[in-house]
Amino acid sequence: MTGPATPERDLAAGEYVLGTLTEAEHQAFERELQEDAALQAAVYAWQDRLVPLSARVPPRTPSPLLWGRIDASVAAASRSANPLSDPLADKRAAVRRPTPGTPWWQRLGWWQGLSALAAFATLVLSVLLLQRPPPESAGARYLAVLQAPQGGATGWVVEVQAGGQMRLLPAGEGAAAPVPPGRALQFWTKAEGAAGPTSLGLVQAGQPLVLPASRLPAVEQRQLFEITLEPEGGSPYDRPSGPILYVGRTIRL
Amino acid sequence: MPDSTPPFDHEAALQACARGERYALHALYERESRWLCGVAQRILGSRASAEDVLHDAFVQVWRSAPTYQPALGSARGWIYTVVRHTALRAARRAGRVEATDPEELARLADDAQAAGAFVDRGFDVESLDRCLERLEPERRTCVTLAFVDGCTHDEIAGRVGAPLGTVKSWIRRSLAALKECLS
Repeated sequence: MTGPATPERDLAAGEYVLGTLTEAEHQAFERELQEDAALQAAVYAWQDRLVPLSARVPPRTPSPLLWGRIDASVAAASRSANPLSDPLADKRAAVRRPTPGTPWWQRLGWWQGLSALAAFATLVLSVLLLQRPPPESAGARYLAVLQAPQGGATGWVVEVQAGGQMRLLPAGEGAAAPVPPGRALQFWTKAEGAAGPTSLGLVQAGQPLVLPASRLPAVEQRQLFEITLEPEGGSPYDRPSGPILYVGRTIRL
Repeated sequence: MPDSTPPFDHEAALQACARGERYALHALYERESRWLCGVAQRILGSRASAEDVLHDAFVQVWRSAPTYQPALGSARGWIYTVVRHTALRAARRAGRVEATDPEELARLADDAQAAGAFVDRGFDVESLDRCLERLEPERRTCVTLAFVDGCTHDEIAGRVGAPLGTVKSWIRRSLAALKECLS
């Protein structure tokens, strides 16, 4: 659909955001929403019109344990599936659900599952083949020594095995220096010529950090690694917001 | 006590969540959890249910972050919708305990005055209040009962003592009037 939503659909979007649709209407609306760009635009506009009403509600501080629960669930969700592929996970689960009374070879789901599995295996194989590094660079190792921008004191060492994991190791007294209250150390990388740095997460003072290859962008010669001082919880932006404490580039070993 | 909090880039944080950066979800949580907990508790009536909803909603924010479209609207509006809808679903599934706390009910009447008393978080409260003021009082009450208290059409009809059909039509007309006034 192109152009804005009709006035009728626009009001339905308003009621959807407001929350006065019945559960059945709400679900039907969400199904339409997935396909209809005009309706999506209408919903976002209603969200922004009505959200200031939330300011009428006094805050309530949740239990300090709540974040731990959320973090554990998110970690589990991240391990089981990439967030982008979640809808597929639901469909796969639906495919596996058996229909009582039907022999397995007549169940559409079984064949669909097998077919999906075969397609998936093909995809995995082609990705593996494409990603396999040329023989001469197989197992290339890189090292970066992260030093203070002023004074050059060594703080940390980054060690990367191409296609393998990356380790960040404290290597100087500075690495173990206590972090000021309300602040955190954040670890970043930027390939030479890349538009901006990528966050590799928060770092505990004096504690080594090991990241699997899956969390890393491709590592190359003269790749920048740095640790910055950020607000607790990390930079609110997709780039560093605080001062650089340690910085260095990779050299190939 | 009026106060203001430093600006925070909700869009950048939500987009970082979409890239799988968990620190960004934590930053959003640090920034918004107590406000969102207030929103959920108002709808659900109980602190424990509000925390369960906040848990489910933050997991949902993490999973759905890749679907957020920054060109269409704010990340904060998007996140509040996730939390409110999760709370409404929980409230309706559980057969919500009606807000029995008389103080909470009395507070509703003071809401318009109270709005200015909370921390300025960059919401354009004034424009929306100005437009709400233009509505008939009973229609304004319907909109706030729906949005703030998470009431269904039936519950609103019971509270304001008007027929269901009238309440439905009041709400639709109020939404149309608000849209017109805010444009």
